[in-house]
Amino acid sequence: MALSTQEGSGDSHYVLNVRLDNAKNVSNLLKAIHFKETATVFASSMGLKVTVEDAKCIQANAFIQEGVFHEFTIKEEQLTFKINLTVLLECLTIFGSTSFPGVTTSLKMCYAGYGCPLVLILEEDGVLTDCNIKTLEADEVLDFNFCSSNVVNKIIMKSECLKEAFNELDMSSDILEILMSPDAPYFRLSTFGNSGSTHSDFPKDSDMVESFQCSQTQTNRYKISLLKPSVKALGHSTRVSIRTDNRGFLSLQYMIKNEDGQICFVEYYCVPDEDLDEPDH
Amino acid sequence: MKCVIPGVNIKVFGRAIHSLSKIGEEIYFEPQEDGLSLKTVNSSRSAYSCFLFAPSFFQDYDDGSGQIDSQDGEDNGLRCKITVKSCLTVFRSMSTIEKTVERCKITLNMDDSRLVFMLYCKHGIVKTHNLAFIECETLQAVFSKDLTPNVLTAPARLLCDVVMNFQTNQEEVSLILSPEKVSFKNYIEDEPDPNKVMHTELCLQPEEFDNCQVGVDTEVTFCLKELRAILAFAEVVGLPVSLHFETAGRPIVLSISSDASFEANFVLATLADAQTQTSGSQHPRSQLPSSSRYDMASATEISGPTTTQEEEDMLDDDMDDEMLGHDETMPSYTPSLQLDDLTATAPIRKPAPSRNRQGSPQPSTSRLSEQTERQTPTIPHRTTGGEQFASPVIPNQNTNTKPMRIDVSLLEEDDDDEEEEEAVPGTPPSKKFRSMFFGSQASTCTQLSQSVAPVLACDTDDED
Repeated sequence: MALSTQEGSGDSHYVLNVRLDNAKNVSNLLKAIHFKETATVFASSMGLKVTVEDAKCIQANAFIQEGVFHEFTIKEEQLTFKINLTVLLECLTIFGSTSFPGVTTSLKMCYAGYGCPLVLILEEDGVLTDCNIKTLEADEVLDFNFCSSNVVNKIIMKSECLKEAFNELDMSSDILEILMSPDAPYFRLSTFGNSGSTHSDFPKDSDMVESFQCSQTQTNRYKISLLKPSVKALGHSTRVSIRTDNRGFLSLQYMIKNEDGQICFVEYYCVPDEDLDEPDH
Repeated sequence: MKCVIPGVNIKVFGRAIHSLSKIGEEIYFEPQEDGLSLKTVNSSRSAYSCFLFAPSFFQDYDDGSGQIDSQDGEDNGLRCKITVKSCLTVFRSMSTIEKTVERCKITLNMDDSRLVFMLYCKHGIVKTHNLAFIECETLQAVFSKDLTPNVLTAPARLLCDVVMNFQTNQEEVSLILSPEKVSFKNYIEDEPDPNKVMHTELCLQPEEFDNCQVGVDTEVTFCLKELRAILAFAEVVGLPVSLHFETAGRPIVLSISSDASFEANFVLATLADAQTQTSGSQHPRSQLPSSSRYDMASATEISGPTTTQEEEDMLDDDMDDEMLGHDETMPSYTPSLQLDDLTATAPIRKPAPSRNRQGSPQPSTSRLSEQTERQTPTIPHRTTGGEQFASPVIPNQNTNTKPMRIDVSLLEEDDDDEEEEEAVPGTPPSKKFRSMFFGSQASTCTQLSQSVAPVLACDTDDED
């Protein structure tokens, strides 16, 4: 469904001009990283990267590649701005999240450059909404320096079973301990809460595990409050890749399929908890 | 102890935990020779529930008594309790559990003092929960459901449909039984004005029940919350519920059983009705601030210790009230009894939970006996024959024959509490409902008092 707004006229001063027929393809990805109010948006000819961070310890990135959009024009090498993600998501879902078959919200999004608002024009069934969202000065984002060459352990599994494990995490525990090992118990998630400890073991030969490449036994602890938001991404995803590097940094990559069958990625990076004390179970 | 629940029975077990969780704060795990029993009692001791899962319910069952015997010659297997909260972490999402869990193994890890639940799920995933537990004595309410004159058996669905009609904030429901009909009515307190609240009554024909045995026309009032918890379970397992009851003030027993594999019994206190049944109706020791009676009681409690004269006046007033406005018997008369209780209990709360109160030496002893003496003439039953004067304590004894006296006592549990130095549960009994356990507790008190405080024992001796 095409936007009824005239194209061309008045669009020339925008440095970023994108259009797509199903705003959901963008909003679902943004929801997967929506655990903080503000997000930093990076635009390049490759597409958009939206970054959300918390406590200088966790970072989530949503990659919306250029191919997701029906029209994607950028006049500069790279554009960066910060925006209120909550407001952006509210605008994107302004027609509601329930969709009738065949009815989608089309979106046109423009940005005129530093200091200018992000302009959204949404249309569904002939109803048009015009939104202007103020942009903020972009801060520097964290660089976790997570190189695939330093990856020690890597597991790719279907999200389904991990979803359940994450949803049932005992939140009275401060930390989530992740064990990855070439030997039993292979992959274990543990919490140490008020009522006792809980372990979820995933054998490497489970049909949920698609790839198991663990070279050494590693037990790392992560703040559960930091990792819990990743359950949002998990919920949307079909597959997840769990990686740890030699420093114990954690990378969670989620494969999310949109309604048009395109594959997008969301990733979370998390630093390990410094506390090296033995678990008190 | 070790038991393995097969996948098909996980649902029942999990739902049982959920149902227990709606009643009490702790779940007592007791592996016995005849099966694993899960029990709980609510904080006010007005509701008790017990599930017994027979060995045939399990794929593998070992109560562990053999091991313990060999180790230290104890005759009983370990009994422990775990908090409902921690137990729910295991069975939180029943829909997922029903879908994914293939079997569940429960073991006791004595080395780390953990009760271990291992859920073997699909795709080879294993979830292990190591739960902290507290060793404890057995929890046992003594009740008999076989001797009650009234028995109703109904499909869970029928009762669910009935209960559904009451508002969610409705606390108590009355069951009125007569040979012609069975009706459920929301129980309305005297305050606020009963004319200003909604009354709901549902009448059922005896034919609608699988079994409807009416021995005595009666009206019993009990808590809806627990009933809902019971019915939720019964509905999921699709089994009929039997209600065994007698009269107001006597506990109602609800039972659900599936031939060989498990049995569940729930004992609920019923409210003793002031108008129809004064005896056994007053429930002393209200500790719930929500009850107006409590307010009165606490007021007396405060004034009591300081001025005995006032207190006596008050007692007089109470009695007058009772004689004048019989409708108000409960509220007006109770305070004096509560006074008796509370003043005595307060100073010695920790070391000696309430049931010891009369027997324990404490500052207020003399005053206490004074009160008791004052009460004696009114308590009477035999002396004056006026039922309406009956105190809550004595009447229970009077009405109960010896074997029945301990109908629903949680005495053993009380012992346990004592041993562990737990104070009597913080949020006590809802006002009126305590009657059920109180009756039995009272009898213990009096028994105790016989030995420890002869003065107090006087009236009991008379009674017996």
